[in-house]
Parts: sequence; C-alpha cells; structure tokens
Amino acid sequence: MLTKRNILIFLSVLGPGIITANVDNDAGGIATYSVAGAHFGYALLWTLIPITLALVVVQEMVARMGVVTGKSLADLIRESFGVRATFFLMMSLLLADMGNTVAEFAGWAAAMEIFGVSKYISVPIGAFVVWLLVVKGTYRFVEKIFLIACAVYFTYALSAYFVHPPWGQIMLDTVKPSFELKPSYLMMLIGVVGTTIAPWMQFYLQSAVVEKNIKVDHYNASRMDVIVGCIMTDVVAFFIIVACAATLFEHGITITDAKDAALALEPLAGKYASILFAVGLANASLFSASILPLATAYYVCEGMGWESGVSKNFKTAPQFMWLYTGIIAVGALIILIPNAPLIAIMLISQVVNGIMLPFVLIFMLILINNKDIMGEFTNSRTFNVIAWATVVVMVVLTLALVITSFL
Amino acid sequence: MPFFSGDIFVSDVYKKTVLDQTGEEIGKLKDIIVGIGEPFPPVITLVVTAGGETYLLPWHLVNLFNKRVISVNMKIDEISPAQHSPSDILICRDILDKQIVDINGAKLVRVNDLELGDVKGKLCLVAADIGLRGLLRRLHVEKRGERFFSWFNYKLQNKLISWHYVQTIEPKVARLTLKITNQKVSSMHPADLADIISEVSQKERTAIFGSIDVETAAEALHELEPSVQVDIIDDMSKERASDILERMPPDEAADVLGDLPEAKAQELINLMEREEAEDVQELLEHEEDTAGGLMTTEYLAFPPDMTVEEAIKELRLEAPDVETIYYLYIVDSDERIIGVLSLKHLILASAQTLLSDIMITPAKTLSLDAKKKDVAEFISKYNMLAAPVVDENMVMRGIVTVDDVLAFLLPTASRRRKR
Repeated sequence: MLTKRNILIFLSVLGPGIITANVDNDAGGIATYSVAGAHFGYALLWTLIPITLALVVVQEMVARMGVVTGKSLADLIRESFGVRATFFLMMSLLLADMGNTVAEFAGWAAAMEIFGVSKYISVPIGAFVVWLLVVKGTYRFVEKIFLIACAVYFTYALSAYFVHPPWGQIMLDTVKPSFELKPSYLMMLIGVVGTTIAPWMQFYLQSAVVEKNIKVDHYNASRMDVIVGCIMTDVVAFFIIVACAATLFEHGITITDAKDAALALEPLAGKYASILFAVGLANASLFSASILPLATAYYVCEGMGWESGVSKNFKTAPQFMWLYTGIIAVGALIILIPNAPLIAIMLISQVVNGIMLPFVLIFMLILINNKDIMGEFTNSRTFNVIAWATVVVMVVLTLALVITSFL
Repeated sequence: MPFFSGDIFVSDVYKKTVLDQTGEEIGKLKDIIVGIGEPFPPVITLVVTAGGETYLLPWHLVNLFNKRVISVNMKIDEISPAQHSPSDILICRDILDKQIVDINGAKLVRVNDLELGDVKGKLCLVAADIGLRGLLRRLHVEKRGERFFSWFNYKLQNKLISWHYVQTIEPKVARLTLKITNQKVSSMHPADLADIISEVSQKERTAIFGSIDVETAAEALHELEPSVQVDIIDDMSKERASDILERMPPDEAADVLGDLPEAKAQELINLMEREEAEDVQELLEHEEDTAGGLMTTEYLAFPPDMTVEEAIKELRLEAPDVETIYYLYIVDSDERIIGVLSLKHLILASAQTLLSDIMITPAKTLSLDAKKKDVAEFISKYNMLAAPVVDENMVMRGIVTVDDVLAFLLPTASRRRKR
C-alpha cells in the first residue's frame, strides 16, 4: 500500500541497501562495464536482469538478518562458527579490501587526471575528505552524503543520452539473452557477473542496517531499500554499457579501463559526455574508497567484539576509527609510490575475494536458516532453492573470474 | 572427588580425549555444563561426543581433569547417550565468543577464552579471558605468539575479567553484561564515578544515574561539570532529581539548581522536602561566587549557657546531618554569633564548664557578599576548616567549608572539575 505513512517509513529506512548496491559500481565495476560496452556493444545488456535478481536475493537475506537479530554478520559468524573461522575470514578480507581500496584510489586519481589534476594533489585531498567525513560525522549525516553520491551516478544516464544511441535495439537486447561461444565473450560474461557480489557488501549492508537500528516492523521498507538499490545500480551499469557501446563499439575502439573510455568519448560524443563520464568515475571511486574501509573496520571490530560505528569517535571506538584511518592512509600511500605494483595488488585482492565469497555466502545461508537466530524469519523452502541456486552460480562465476584473471 | 589442579583454560581441554577408568576412550570433550552459583558457577557435567552420540558425565564421577588427561570413574559400557536439558548452561555454546558489554551497553570485547578454577574445593567458572593471549590460545598459536612478542620485549599477559563482574547467565544469551551496576559502580569512590560519567555519552550517563542509589548519585553529581549536571538532571524524572538534590548538602544542591532554568529549578525545589527546600531557596538568593552562595546552612550552633557535657551529647545527635563538626558556633537567642569553639577545645574541657567560658570571642566572620577570592584568602589566612558567614546584624547564616574554596586555592590545572 502506497500510503503517506508507508512512504515516510521507507524514507526513514532508506540508505543501507541503496548505498551498498551503488558501491558495487566502483572504479573496477565501471571499468568492467565500459570494456563490456566498448568491445561487445549491446550484447551483454541482457545479463543485467539476472545480475539484479541475484544481487537482490543475496542482499535481501543480509538485510533481513540485520533487522531481525540486531547483530552484524561478523557478530553472527563469530558466535556460530567460532573464533578460528572468524579470525581467518576477517584477516583475508582485510587484505582483500585493502587491495580494493587501493584500486578505488587509483580510479579517483585516474578520473582527476582527466581534469588535469596530478594524483599527488587529488589522492591526499580525496583521502583526507573521506577520512574526515567518517571520523567527524554521525551515521545520519554520513548516510546523507553517501546518498548524494548515489545520485551523482546518474551522470552516466546523461552521458548515455548525449551519445544518441538506438534505444529500440537496446531495449530488445536488454530482454533477449544472446550467447556466443567465443572465449573472449565468455571471459567478459564472467567478468561482468563475477564482479557483482563481493564479500564486503554483505558485511557492510548488515552492519549499516544494525547501526541504523531498523526494527522488524519496518522490515518491508528495508527490503524495498535493497530492491531499489539493486535496480538503481544495474540501471547505472546499463547506461555505462550503452554510452560505450554506442560510441566506442561503433567505431571499433578498444579500451582497457574507465579512464580510456572517458577520454575516447570526447571526440565521438562531445565534451559533455566525456566530462560526465569522468565525474561519474571520480564520484564512484571516492565513494567506494570510503565505504570499503568502513565495511572493513565494521567487520573486524564486530568479529573481535570491539565497539564500532560511524557515530562513535576515537575515544569511544578507538579500534574502529584507527582501522578506518589506517586502511585509507595505506591505500592512498600505495597510489603515491611511483611504480607500485598496482596490478598485482588488485589481482591478489580479487583472488582473495573470490576464495572467501563461498565461505561468506554459505555461512550466511546456514545462519539465515537457523531458527534459534532468525525465529520465524528463516528462508522459506522455495526461497532456499532460489538462494542456494543463486549462491552456487555466483560462486562458480566468481571463481571462474579468479581463474580467467590469470589467463 | 575429581582431581584437578590450578587454573584451567577451556580452550586447553576443549576437544580433549576423555577416558574411562580402564583407559579406554569415551569421546571428545565438547562442552561443559555449569550450575547456578554465586558468584562463580560450578562445573556440574561434562558433555562428551563420540561418533554422533552425546554423553553426559556428571562431575562427581570425574577422576582427573587437566589439560593433559581427562578421565572418569566409570566403565565405558556403563555409559549411555543422553541429552542435556534446554535450560542447561553450556559454557562453550552459551558463553564463549559472546559479546561483553558494559553496564551502558557499550561493546567492550568478546569472550576469547574461559578460565576454570578452584573455589572452595569445587571447579568453577572463574573468569572470562578477553585478551590477545586468549585469542592466540584459541587459534592454537599461544606459544608462537609469546615468542613473537618477546622479540619486542613485550610479555603477553592474560587479560581476565573475574566472573564476579559478569551478570548471572542464562542459556542462549545474546550478550554478556558486566554488572558494574549497583554493586560495583556504587562501591567506587564518587569522584572516580564522576570521572567515568564525564567520559560517556549523555544517554549512557542517564543509564548510569538510573542504576545507582540516591546517596551515591548525590555525591557523584556534585563532582561533575555544571553543564553535565544540568544534562543529567534534565534527563531524570523530576521525583528522582528532587530526591537526589535533597541528599546533597544544600550549598551543592543550590549550585546545581542555580545552573538550571529558573522554572525547572523552582519545580524541583517544590518537590523537595520542606526543610531542605528552604535551605536551598535561601542559598539560591545569593550570588554564586560570594560567601552567601558558597556557604552551607548546616552547621552546629549552641547557646552560650550550655555545659560541655550537654553540648557533646547534642553534638552526637546532630553530627550525622552536618558537613563539618570541627567548629561549634555559639549564638544568642537571636542567632547572632558571639563566639566559636573548636571540637578539640570542647573535648579537652571538663564536663560542667559552660560553653561561654571556653569559647573564643569575637569569632572571625565573613559577610554574605564577600567575594570568593576573599573567602579563600580569609580561610587560608586563619588556617580554618570552615568560616562562619553572617549578615549585617551579625546573625549567623551559614558556613563556608574549606573544600568549597579549596579548588580556588590550587593551581588552575587541578581545579578543572570543580569549576
């Protein structure tokens, strides 16, 4: 029912789901979609609908756990699977997310270089801004800033609009699956789907739901938040693919990353399309450079049982704030070191993420079906079939991505 | 009787083989059931698993229990599988890895390990290990961790919280709460309590103040910054606030009320008992930084024609209610001050002496509007513990005690807490 009351509840609960899903379109995500559009045109658009569904299925479960238990995912894993599993999971993910943060700062540096700003200026400033935001801000304030960052993603919609693509054909390609048995196509398919679900997302979403203190009564609104977020994310991905497909693919230009895409757009689609594309990349990178360290600080502290939360400070949650600070500082510093092995760092983090994902998702499915923890909110039988199938497919594709990254 | 020695960490015996009296393996130790016991829950049953079956071995049949050997005085064929009841407390399942929160609900750390120890001949759960060493022990790298830290000249210590401080446990608790509440917080010195209270957030403060008794609250409240005092009073129910104010010495209560909005202050005064309310009301009329504002209206006053014996008897009755008993003021029927007598003089004088014969006269007095600085200098100059305050007709109105101006006499840094 779309009553005024329901809308108000939704607005008060909105945040964690939308933010988490949008950060899925981080520097790496934008690069993947840009390359997919530039090299395969509209041929991969159809994957976005199953991707959205898979994302909703997984994220809905963690949001539900957060709302029902009031505990974060790391809390539940430590309490149900013991200290050893938790410790190794946390340490591996800390490593992986550290690497991801480096990738985000690299994306931010690349985007700012399009505007002629040296990375030695943009990276320290960017790092300081996101550090200050979380250290000084309260959860409510920080969430508002993050939601504004989510809105900036729509620069990609404008970017796609400026390139005047053939909308009729695009709509058809979006709903009609196509398939090629070419190795390059399969690798791209794995790349697009395999980046969809990363372990940090489950931890961040559940922690944010818990810190926001969303009650079971408002669970429907919280689920709506997750669904809207997932759809929004893939709509953005859709526009990225379209913008690159209509221009770069048509002219047979090959690219390797998002910065290439932004630069290549200028002669083909005009200055505005290019600038909007770069703004989108800068925003996404910096946004993720804040969320990833935040997610990491959340799960490490929760696993160990230390106080955590954006609204806390160095005095009330010292470990949380120092972890956040440390990850940002190290991530930004690595970018500033000349000739740092960025590719190797990102590769390692992708591998670790891929290996940890099955554990996280399976732990999650065991937890959500535990009546002692979830009460009447366990998965239904049908949903379990869907959830397990999704998890198996995502795990296989993520591991496939790990393997292809070595080819 | 089971034989055990020293303290045993649960992680050291967890999954250890349990043997029967002939040395045959029964299974692995999976959990330990503890009973209800204050303050330390005693071990009552060992939960052992073997090949999917669970066996419950009562503690009184245990023979050896240490990190090398666990054995029972039973034969393996005498034991049959059993289930523990839902109300049992299993320490690995219910306590290990659980979150510990303090009384304010702030997360501290998780239970990394548990320590069992000897309490009056019984093996009891004595402490929760919350330190890094406990964590390493659970990860089976305690020795390596110790060596690693010894390179940095750092000795890895156990960090234990005595079970004393943990709230009674129930099966399947979500989190363990430290009961540094009534029992423990109140046994702290009010000044230390005040230090803790000024560290925590306002919400947590209200929770602490809600949990301690009125006397302690009254003493702790006085130690806090005026702005913090106002916040706390604002958050409390009016009835509780007025109860706490009543228990405070009138001058301190007046200080707190003076910082509140006038309407709120008046409302609280009206809820106080009449006698206390009048005292506070009077004090509120004086400027805060003058002798009138600093003074307390509780002091010992005696007529000049009383004997020492009567005075001592009277003193015994009144002493509990006054802030300082070291000076006795001698006043006439109109309450005008005519002399002063120290407790020492009183005790040393013979029983039948009249107070007027041993009092020191004239008494050194302060006027109601004397500035704080002058009050401090006055007290310091005459080496007094308290100075009487009089109005223009020499009628005694109260005393200023040395602790009211002590902060003023000290260097700036050390008086931050006391305004």
